[in-house]
Amino acid sequence: MASDLLSIAVSGARAARGALDVTAQNIANASSEGYVRRSLRISEVAASGGAGRVGDISLSGARIVEIRRNADSFAQAEVRRTGSDLARASTELAGLRNVESGIEQSGLYSSIVEFEASLQQLAGDPTDPSRRAQVLAEATTLANKFNITAASLDAVGAGLQFEAQAATADINLVAGELSRINLRLSRAGAGSSDRAALLDQRDQMLERLSTHAAISASFAADGGVAVSIGANPPRSLVSGGAAGTFTTTIIGDGTLQFDVDGQPTEVSGGALGGAQAALREASTIRSRLDALAAGIAGTVNGVQANGAALDGNAGQHIFSGSTAADLTVIMRDGAGIATAPATAGAGSRDPRNLVDLRAALNTFAPAAGLSSLLFDVSSKVAGRTLTQSALATIASSARVTLEQQSGVDLDAEAANLIRFQQAFQASGRAMQTASDIFDTLLGIGR
Amino acid sequence: MINLSTGAFYERGTRQIGVLRSRAETLQNQIGTGERLERSSDDPVAAARLRMLERSERLTEIDSRNSDMAQADLELADQTLRSVADIVIRVRELAVRASAATMKDDQRAAIGSEIDGLRSNLLLLANSRNVSGHALFGGQATGAAYVDAAPGATYIGTPSADALEIGDGQTVLPGVAGPELFEFDTSTGPTDLFNVFGNLADTLRAGDPAGGAFVQDSLSLLDSGLEKITTAQTVVGSRLNWIDLMAERRADMGERVANEQANVGGADIAVTIARLQETLTVLEASQSSFVRLSNLSLFSILR
Repeated sequence: MASDLLSIAVSGARAARGALDVTAQNIANASSEGYVRRSLRISEVAASGGAGRVGDISLSGARIVEIRRNADSFAQAEVRRTGSDLARASTELAGLRNVESGIEQSGLYSSIVEFEASLQQLAGDPTDPSRRAQVLAEATTLANKFNITAASLDAVGAGLQFEAQAATADINLVAGELSRINLRLSRAGAGSSDRAALLDQRDQMLERLSTHAAISASFAADGGVAVSIGANPPRSLVSGGAAGTFTTTIIGDGTLQFDVDGQPTEVSGGALGGAQAALREASTIRSRLDALAAGIAGTVNGVQANGAALDGNAGQHIFSGSTAADLTVIMRDGAGIATAPATAGAGSRDPRNLVDLRAALNTFAPAAGLSSLLFDVSSKVAGRTLTQSALATIASSARVTLEQQSGVDLDAEAANLIRFQQAFQASGRAMQTASDIFDTLLGIGR
Repeated sequence: MINLSTGAFYERGTRQIGVLRSRAETLQNQIGTGERLERSSDDPVAAARLRMLERSERLTEIDSRNSDMAQADLELADQTLRSVADIVIRVRELAVRASAATMKDDQRAAIGSEIDGLRSNLLLLANSRNVSGHALFGGQATGAAYVDAAPGATYIGTPSADALEIGDGQTVLPGVAGPELFEFDTSTGPTDLFNVFGNLADTLRAGDPAGGAFVQDSLSLLDSGLEKITTAQTVVGSRLNWIDLMAERRADMGERVANEQANVGGADIAVTIARLQETLTVLEASQSSFVRLSNLSLFSILR
């Protein structure tokens, strides 16, 4: 086959046009999320001469072999892994911060101190009705603050559970999308721009999935992906064109249970893993708060029963309820506070039972108990904040690495634009030359 | 070839500026509130310490309220004791005058009536109330301390007052129980001032049949009574001193607590402002360099 200058020039112009299109596409998508820089692979088209025609020049120009996606699967896996870790840490931190705010901003601590202070004030004059009334008022405030704190912890739990349900819905959506992408990838031609777009979508979906939960992905030769989710044991979520159903159930203590197609698994990373960790923490804190409320009620009621009220009768319970949520003050009249020992008559100023009550409260130390609870929560928040910011840095640098490697550099694209424009013009010039040669040949006969 | 991705450049730039902005805001917040800690997790150890300080501050407030009350009670007791001492001295004067041989029986009877009047006054003083309306000398009794049982009076209070906490685990007795004031021992057994007054008044009104011997005995009893009152005054005085001492101590403690609060939780304004200025300088620099770098595109040169 002989060479044809015109068709060589046309193929060059076509290849340069293709390259210009790809460059324009890169520029247009410079800030598109999940877009991986494309480049063209252009190769020479030439035939070896046939038998006896070894000396022939047999050139046919250039052709576009492949639209290459400049994605580094290791960098992408790193982005997924670190993104998953960051999502877990961020969700857990947000949950814990809300728990901390819930306990701290309800003012529970100062109401415990005020309750102690009112008892101390009552010791100054145990029969003073206004001091007695103040003790009951502070007790009521204390019970209300416990209720408020319990309610805000419930709200934190409900928020985390809601997020977990939303993430669950998204996981199922993404899993379905991935199975469809798998099917289309098996039909897309190798090196086509359709395939590159599908792979972009696939990677974007995997990244989205990894912010919800830790996943592991394995890739088939055609670019299809098999995803398994969770640990102990991991369950297959997407395999070929089939997607499993992921479910999240809220169990008794407010924590979550995860299943894939009814098979239980544990989710470690991602927002779901973070929500699970925060919910477990909230549940522990909730039970410690309940113990504190029950302890205060039990201590006060217990000592109350040993003493005599202002009217000389045996002391009745001040508090009812045994959890932070249902702690209430049932005593209506301050005269019912048993400051005197049981043997004292009506109207006694004998403060021995009040002394016992204060000593019992001092031993139970609700203020110190709550302070240490707050300390535990806040030091966890402080620790998690450090971890989260470290993970944010790691995730960000993983993303920057990926972007540097697979993102669009506008300067490079500008240079490409000039380069391929020149290539196009040069091919045009080659066509011009072919035309001139043809004209020359036609002119020979004149 | 290293590909300097445009997306990566913008991501890095916004992240750095965002970090600087949030740091500047934190510092601004510290200056605005004067507090270093916005929430416990900013410094859990300091926050826990601040909570303990806040509690001790609050409880010290109650201590000083209780201590003020004890002080008022004791000052009232001090004044009352002075009046009681005046009455005892007056009765002694009257008794001395009545013991004079030149006295006529009706004059003695008049003195006896006066002493009886003074006995009622003493009873009133013994039943005086403290600031919260309870018997000042009745121990833990809620109503009166003594009821009249002529010639004497019967103590219906409790043997002692309640100790009141005034901080640091220290206590003070804010009152004196009646028996500690008015009762004393004689060679013939315990008696009290009411009895002494009453018997003296009755004897004088009857014309002092024993011929001065009873009055003489009464004089020594009055001396013992006065001694008891003076002792009680001293005790009350020393308790007032103790309260003063504890008040000073509480003031010192309060100062220490405030100091520690400032140290643990307060923001050092000078340092914070300097740090804010530094952060703002860096922020401005990185903002302007970011703008310059982002203008540095090949496209702006291509024409």
